[in-house]
Amino acid sequence: YPSRPVDREKAEHDLALNIKKATSPDETAPKQKHVRKCIVYTWDYHTSESIWNGLKVAPILADEIQTFKALITVHKVIRGGHPVTLKEAQNQINWLESCARSVAGDGNRGYGTLIRVYVDFLKAKLAYHRHHPEFNGNFDYEEYISLKNVDDPNEGYETISELMNLQDQIDQFQKLIFVHFRQSSSNECRIAALVPLVEESYGIYKFLTSMLRAMHKRTDAIDALTPLRTRYNAQHYGLIKFYYECSNLKYLTSLINVPKLPQDPPSLIDGSAPNLPK
Amino acid sequence: MSKYVVKATARTIKNYTKGYSDIQAKVRSATSNDPWGPSGTLMNEIAKATYNHNEFLEIMEMIDKRLNDHGKNWRHVFKALTLLDYCLHGGSEQVVKYAKTNLYVVKTLTEFQYIDEEGKDQGANVRQKAKEITNLLQDEERLNQERRNRDEMRRRMGGRNDY
Repeated sequence: YPSRPVDREKAEHDLALNIKKATSPDETAPKQKHVRKCIVYTWDYHTSESIWNGLKVAPILADEIQTFKALITVHKVIRGGHPVTLKEAQNQINWLESCARSVAGDGNRGYGTLIRVYVDFLKAKLAYHRHHPEFNGNFDYEEYISLKNVDDPNEGYETISELMNLQDQIDQFQKLIFVHFRQSSSNECRIAALVPLVEESYGIYKFLTSMLRAMHKRTDAIDALTPLRTRYNAQHYGLIKFYYECSNLKYLTSLINVPKLPQDPPSLIDGSAPNLPK
Repeated sequence: MSKYVVKATARTIKNYTKGYSDIQAKVRSATSNDPWGPSGTLMNEIAKATYNHNEFLEIMEMIDKRLNDHGKNWRHVFKALTLLDYCLHGGSEQVVKYAKTNLYVVKTLTEFQYIDEEGKDQGANVRQKAKEITNLLQDEERLNQERRNRDEMRRRMGGRNDY
């Protein structure tokens, strides 16, 4: 069904190479051109099966850097790929777990812990999407006009609180990445993992803001939402710190715009509060 | 300057050997590696040609090729985005439909990377342009407004050869 001119046979052949190169043993970011080809492939053919197969036949689990780069690639493909990618990823939990088991301790090059925590995060993300299929992998707010969950306060409360759990997990993971920076290295491979985390955390933040505003508008029991407000405010300050630290990483800021949040959390109750910047 | 004359000649030969149509040759020239931007006249001509269905297909095929080119040909990618942007404003409604269906081709360029031999980040231009077009394609209202504005301006200027 691609409306653009493509050649499936060539695409499959190239894909194997793209996966191999994206997960090469060099301690660098997975090359974006190869990750991009994977993402475009899922949109062209509405499947990601060949990508998972390619990852499984490649001997990447023997090398911690290759494993880490594979996880970054998977994360980006789930986020940017056709929605079917997210569904198909649900069947790959075993493979993710085998990644987590592949390195003992911190590994020779210090990626062991990062790999296990990345796998935990991806599993949590997949579980969230399984329970809440109304979100896309990107948490792309622009594509939604409203979410049905806020109509049912109990369901809305749960959706928001689980989304906050995911946000907390991103926060723990990003802190761990910074702790694992090495002075002798450019850290590009580790910083590469921060790129999708910045984007994901901001997508979640925008959703949380507008869902909480909608919840406050519809309920009379504003006190009942106090725990969510408290958590929201704490996460706001956590994100400011995270984005500030990212804004000092030249490699990262050359690739994406790091969001600038207002110093204080925006009001969730006042309907006239300004919209968030895009 | 002579370097680019040689390149233009090589392009003409390739147009012939690859069997590209006239309009495709124009797209190739508008999105070449020459270090100056595509001329407004040329882009206008291409945008007008998108109203012809066959030419529309040929144009999009070539733009698609250029958008998916290698990093060292970042100028191809950048100028293909420039041309696409122009056609979204001044071309047929089909261009808009096509670009929306294939939004991911442009969207995935927002992390395009290319650092040249001198260490200069040439990818930045591509990333910025890809972001602008992605935002435009996701904002139906703005896109329609900009297309209308353009139409009106063209009429006021009394564009002679315009449809």
